[in-house]
Amino acid sequence: MLIQQLANGIAIGSVYALISLGLTMVYGILRILHVAHAGIYALGAYVGWFSFRLIGDFWLSLLIGMAGSALAGYFVQRYLYSPLLHLPRIAPLIVSIGLFIAMEETFRIIAGPHTLTYNARVGLGDLSIGNFQLTETQILILFITGLILVILWAILTRTRTGLAMRACAMDAETTSSFGVNVNAIIAINFLLGSAMAGAAGVLIGVYDNQVWPTMGSIPAYKSLAIVVLGGLGNIPGTVLASLVVGLAETFFIGVVAIPFPRDAVAFIAMILVLMFRPYGLLGKA
Amino acid sequence: MLKVRGIEVSYGEFLALKEISFTVNDGELVTIIGANGAGKSTILRSVMGLVKCQRGEIQFQGKVITSMPAHQRARLGISLVPEGRKIFPDLTVMENLMMGAYIQQDRKTIDSGLEESFRLFPVLKERRNQVGKTLSGGEQQMLAIARALMSRPRLILMDEISLGLMPIYVEETFRVIQNLHQQGVTILLVEQNARKALAIADRGYVLETGEIVLSDTSQNLESNPQVKKAYLGGS
Repeated sequence: MLIQQLANGIAIGSVYALISLGLTMVYGILRILHVAHAGIYALGAYVGWFSFRLIGDFWLSLLIGMAGSALAGYFVQRYLYSPLLHLPRIAPLIVSIGLFIAMEETFRIIAGPHTLTYNARVGLGDLSIGNFQLTETQILILFITGLILVILWAILTRTRTGLAMRACAMDAETTSSFGVNVNAIIAINFLLGSAMAGAAGVLIGVYDNQVWPTMGSIPAYKSLAIVVLGGLGNIPGTVLASLVVGLAETFFIGVVAIPFPRDAVAFIAMILVLMFRPYGLLGKA
Repeated sequence: MLKVRGIEVSYGEFLALKEISFTVNDGELVTIIGANGAGKSTILRSVMGLVKCQRGEIQFQGKVITSMPAHQRARLGISLVPEGRKIFPDLTVMENLMMGAYIQQDRKTIDSGLEESFRLFPVLKERRNQVGKTLSGGEQQMLAIARALMSRPRLILMDEISLGLMPIYVEETFRVIQNLHQQGVTILLVEQNARKALAIADRGYVLETGEIVLSDTSQNLESNPQVKKAYLGGS
């Protein structure tokens, strides 16, 4: 029972990590709260769903969903945020909120207000050992998220570009004086972060077996809470915070069975952290 | 090597640099001395491309670079040891040095750069896996110099490198600058510590509230009564 909850919590928490990482990376380098990131996430689910309908292959639809989100994220950065960077950060924030609403409405107009079913299967089947059960989609989530996190970690710690990405988040100006094209690094941040959000959209679409226009609403504010919890801009902190929230949700609802909405957990955690560790779980004072 | 002609930089209403012109020739060690707030750092930042010039022209090796972004200037061979060191706080010493070598593709050149850094500053080798923010001020200054050298610059800009250092480190860093100069590296050094700077420089410029008021060889500046009075502590 406990192991079961643990597995469920880690699965959902790792999807939170996929969404929140892009948000924290964008904040780390541009100091913008990229609210429309949740729209990029929903876009990934829609693109994935459409391509799954056309091709019928889950893996391909995942890749196309990720590519669609990556491209959209890049355009948002290049044509909406970049021209606004000389203004106070409230300007891109307002643009971001507006864009998010516009994206939701666009999904509604193009794909309809109803939910679409995304019942992709890869033929793994469910795994059950005694009482313990992992559904096929949970296995997929754990495998794909794990793979993406390892790739991200390798890029950040093992490559020249990754080093420049980390340096840029600390001090973009000094980084540029060593020959790093900061605009290119910002674009890479958006491409990677948005591709991860797209993957999360596809995975949640398949996990819940539905894709709908406002599917980004709850992740929009929940990922914000997670990013604050992890310490704004802190990548390992964000992964940890995502898992903590995923596990806390599963335990509070599944084990303690307190009657409050699971989406409140992230915010209670955020309030507690802001009260006692305002610099985040892994941050420093 | 570096020719600056009539540049002007302003921050909003405030004109930080007025009609600044100076040159740095191949292999020279040139210093710009002046009081706090005279605009010394702004000159270096405009040569590196971190602030925009409203007027004037900057030439590097015969090429006009006035509107070129900083990262391209770095690729041409300009390198900056910034004021306040600006070490990447959460990167290790090794990673900080690798950032300095960002424009170097050749593994051998990078390795010999590392060897050189560790020979120059043995303490950096001991601390190579420590993150930047755990180093002392003096060690951070050494790292900042080593990092700037990792790119094999043709021209190195040094901004207030003695500021906030313990006297023994001041001696040591000036000795390192002198060594670099003897090896043929071209250096533009900006300093509040005018006595030390003039002692090792070939030529100097005196900056007062955004304007160059004097330029001469270091020896002549050292014996100039005005300079003596204002920057070398009288007598």
